[in-house]
Amino acid sequence: MYKLKELLMLTDKGYSDLKKAIAACTITNLSLMMPFAVTIQIFAELLKPLMGQEITWIRMWFLLGCGVIAAILVFLASKNDYKKTYVTSYLEAENSRISVAERIRKLPMSFFNSKDLSELTTNIMADCSTTEHVLSHIIPQLSANAISITIVCIMMAVFDWRMALAVFITVPFALLIILCSKKIQARLSEKQVEAKLKASDQVQEYLEGIKVIKACGLDGSKFSALDNALHLMMKLAMKMEVVTGSFVTGAQMILQAGVGLTVFVGTYLLTKGKIELIPLLMFFVIVVRIYGPVLVEFTLLPELFYHRIATKRMRTLMSAPVMEGDIQKPLTHWNIDFKNVSFGYNGRDMQEDTVIKNLTVSIPSDAITALVGPSGCGKSTISRLIARFWDVNEGSVKIGGVDIKTLDPEHLMSYMSFVFQDVVLFNDTVYNNIRIGNMEATKEQVLEAAKAACCDEFIRALPDGYQTMLGENGSTLSGGERQRISIARALLKNAPIVLLDEATASLDPENEALIQQAISSLIEGKTVIVIAHRLRTVAGADKIIVLNEGRLVEEGTHEELMNNRGLYERLYRIQQESLGWSV
Amino acid sequence: MKQKSSVAAKPKTGMARLMELAATKKPLMIASVILSGLASVASFIPHIAIYFVVREIMGIFPEFGNLDLERTVGFGWLAFGGILLNILLYFAALMCSHLAAFGTLYELKVNFASHLAKVPLGFHVLVGSGKLRKIMDENIEKIEGFIAHQLPDMVASFVAPVVMFAILLVIDWRFGLAAAAGIILALAIQIKAYGNDGAKNMMENYQSALEDMNNASVEYIRGITVVKAFKQTVYSFRRMHSAIKEYTKMVIPYTLSWENYMSAFTTIINNIYLCLIPVGILVGLNTSDYNRFAVTFIFYLIFVPSIATILMKIMYVSTGGMQIIGGVERMDEILHTAPLPQPEDPKETSGHEIVFKEVSFSYAGQEAEALSSVSFRAEENQITAIVGPSGGGKSTIAHLIPRFFDVTEGAIWIGGVDVRHMKSEYLMEKVSFVFQDVFLFKQSIMDNIRLGNQSATDEQVIAAAKAAQCHEFIEKLPEKYHTVIGTKGVHLSGGEQQRIAIARAIVKNAPIVLLDEATAFSDPENEHLIQQAFKKLMQGKTVIMIAHRLSTIRSANKIVVLDKGRLIEQGTHDELLLKHGKYSDMWNMYTKTLDWKMDRKGGKAHV
Repeated sequence: MYKLKELLMLTDKGYSDLKKAIAACTITNLSLMMPFAVTIQIFAELLKPLMGQEITWIRMWFLLGCGVIAAILVFLASKNDYKKTYVTSYLEAENSRISVAERIRKLPMSFFNSKDLSELTTNIMADCSTTEHVLSHIIPQLSANAISITIVCIMMAVFDWRMALAVFITVPFALLIILCSKKIQARLSEKQVEAKLKASDQVQEYLEGIKVIKACGLDGSKFSALDNALHLMMKLAMKMEVVTGSFVTGAQMILQAGVGLTVFVGTYLLTKGKIELIPLLMFFVIVVRIYGPVLVEFTLLPELFYHRIATKRMRTLMSAPVMEGDIQKPLTHWNIDFKNVSFGYNGRDMQEDTVIKNLTVSIPSDAITALVGPSGCGKSTISRLIARFWDVNEGSVKIGGVDIKTLDPEHLMSYMSFVFQDVVLFNDTVYNNIRIGNMEATKEQVLEAAKAACCDEFIRALPDGYQTMLGENGSTLSGGERQRISIARALLKNAPIVLLDEATASLDPENEALIQQAISSLIEGKTVIVIAHRLRTVAGADKIIVLNEGRLVEEGTHEELMNNRGLYERLYRIQQESLGWSV
Repeated sequence: MKQKSSVAAKPKTGMARLMELAATKKPLMIASVILSGLASVASFIPHIAIYFVVREIMGIFPEFGNLDLERTVGFGWLAFGGILLNILLYFAALMCSHLAAFGTLYELKVNFASHLAKVPLGFHVLVGSGKLRKIMDENIEKIEGFIAHQLPDMVASFVAPVVMFAILLVIDWRFGLAAAAGIILALAIQIKAYGNDGAKNMMENYQSALEDMNNASVEYIRGITVVKAFKQTVYSFRRMHSAIKEYTKMVIPYTLSWENYMSAFTTIINNIYLCLIPVGILVGLNTSDYNRFAVTFIFYLIFVPSIATILMKIMYVSTGGMQIIGGVERMDEILHTAPLPQPEDPKETSGHEIVFKEVSFSYAGQEAEALSSVSFRAEENQITAIVGPSGGGKSTIAHLIPRFFDVTEGAIWIGGVDVRHMKSEYLMEKVSFVFQDVFLFKQSIMDNIRLGNQSATDEQVIAAAKAAQCHEFIEKLPEKYHTVIGTKGVHLSGGEQQRIAIARAIVKNAPIVLLDEATAFSDPENEHLIQQAFKKLMQGKTVIMIAHRLSTIRSANKIVVLDKGRLIEQGTHDELLLKHGKYSDMWNMYTKTLDWKMDRKGGKAHV
């Protein structure tokens, strides 16, 4: 039973509640045997005249009374188990949701930057619902059934072991069939999942590409790919159903053959005088009803195995490593030094995936440093390493002489502001969205930051001003407005180091000018690292670091680099040309 | 691929609609329902067999040695046979219903997909693929449970009591009525439980709490990097936390509202025999043939509990119903979107100038007009640029020409013919577009470019790739032109994807080209190459270009300036500058932003 707790990742309370729920279900199951016992008593009474005794009608009334009391007990028991199972499972699912959310909060940034993992995280919330279902609909019933079947089995054996054997002999055979079929089912379901994924892929491609499909008049061929995938999925689903159904049906038939067997054995024993009539009747009544719960066991058990996958995902998340480093020591200097840094997103073993190769470079404090280079040169990676979204594979990154690996990641984060391209906004008021930058900020400070980031004007034009709700991911705002809100956040945070990823998207000139103004106020007096796409904007930077394929190519000021006539000079020239391009 | 008429006189909703869907595979469903009904009838056989055995035994009581073994064994076989019959019939019923279900799902999906290809493309711009995919992958899928399991079970659970009632009445109407009273009571409770208004309300609250929680968790996870960066994990955690708490707060009372009904139902179906006892006593007191009475009574006592198993099924029938109906509604909503109207008498054209005449347009569900009475003329083989602040209506113009949407008022003519009078296929042949969102299929690069023109030879594809500045990078890929996009290790940068989309348009060679200026500044080299590719694409075409960077279009033949959906100026760059209007303001601002430098000497931007 302890394994169950592990398996479902239950809290202590949840585990003890679950045990109570199982007990409650068992009581209900057992209480359902009371009507049965009353029925047997009635049989006995009815048969009395046949044995020459007088039937006592008073006793029948008395049995009716017992039956009514038994019914009330059944009602109370099932009320009790209903409450216990459902309330328990919902509370426990709540716990697991909260603890997953809590855990997610503590995971390193790197965890969220890989797409698969963030999908996994989304799935995990769904997994909590699965746990909810397992706890409410499967485990209590499964365990209670198992317990009550065992009890009935023992009781029957005590009455008459031969009859009990006749009733239960078929169970192991049926179980064997179910177990044997599992392998075949697993193989089939693998194929089915594959077909499902493929169909899903095709659907995705069809939907996303529908513009192209229609524009190029390809409805037919693209459609046939989708059609085929859907058709295959249908065929496999049918096959799966037929195969699974056949096994289950076979098992059911074997199992229920016990009814016939019981009749044969019973009548045989009766004619030989080895069993009384009342116990025989009892076995007859039991045998037509006992296989229902056994079948339920058979169908619920595989579901439990299936749900193990769900908790497996949760376990991966719960055991994901947290970043090392716990020093909360205040930093006093802001110069950043990369020393022999190598880094690849897949760890150090994947040589070809190395994004940063043996990089040694220093970024001065209180100055603007620009990272430039062709796309894929590693400039974004460098900014992520500074923020310790990832840890370097080799070498070290130091800020003010302190290796950032030794620092508590959250502590490090408090020294940095980020303005990245993908701005995430919350379904909350504009005001609160800005205040995320610094929850202790006063109202005046928030307004001031909004003004400095050129947000004030457009926010006031919104229906409820600063109290306007932004909707899901701020869908109501334009790209330029979102950018400025993220700048306002950073302004409010007022961290000494500013990491800036220049927006690549084209905006209209007015928005562009406002963002430029906002950035100017943000970077005042800070140590600024800017990932630059427009080389002209960073021509005035104190230092420009030119990268290509993860290596440092050149560094210096704009003038120095132009004189070098290297990569920078070439990129700058091309960009000037394209800027001058006209249709 | 038959398109079911989706414009029924009165679209059905709720349960009626579900039944309509289930009827897609009518013969199979009817077979399934009949088999399922027969199966539930067969499920009584073992009970009857047992009763016969009991009767047999009681007939010779207490001289058990006289038992007619052959007969008794025969009843044993009957019991077993009844069980087999029940299992096999039910298996057959489920097979039919599953075949019907999977077939229906397949048809629904195909219908849905083909409907999607018929609705105006603008619909896809507005709705987004995520929602549609969810309908295809999840909502439609849920119908399976209803057709495959719930419907046959539902029928069985209504047939069984009726048959049982008949059997009960035939043998002895007094006991029969008593048993029926119990069954009716159980059903009444079930009906009351579902008809309960409070439960319906709670169901809605519960559904919306569930949705809130799911949304909160998506937002939480998406926003986690931001809140971490600001050390504000507590803030978003609190929101998540309260959504979770709220859900629990809703779900528990909702579930508990069923507590009494469910418990009462369980209790009654397991205690129907209690109704029999008083009848038994009264009948027994006045009977003349005691033996016959005892056998009948025992029969009822054995028989009645078997109803429990069948009635239990009813309990689960409507559990998932609401969710399924919700999913179907979402599907129907889309199916009810009218397809793009096609002309009855399609016209063709030889000219390619584009004329907007008094065009007004507003997006569905939005009050403000995206375009208000816009008129302009884009001459054949000339370049017309559309500029203006974001939200001014630039993209709407590009969307209206290929009929992503139809204009609300006014008309758009190509070569003198209203676009609504051309067949969609014909219009699509006339127009190429390169928008910012590029989509490449998981096929070889060759096939991806050839999408533009299925009859293009390999040479033509390569020539287009060269013109679009793709050739060089394609040659560097592992399998060159046969490299399949999306396979391991093959990743194209945004600029490269953009150029492939341009190559596609070049191969298509349509006389009209709609361009949305590519996302700029991604990488100086890429940008340069994209510009060259654009140049090749635009040669000798009627071009409409949505421009962000004003320098790009300063030599366009005509510049149309839009602001808040209105056309405020048009003319050449020089003409517009002389007007000192909006365009000249924008141009001044633009040149200033170009000069902006990030440095601390000026401190502030030169705005």
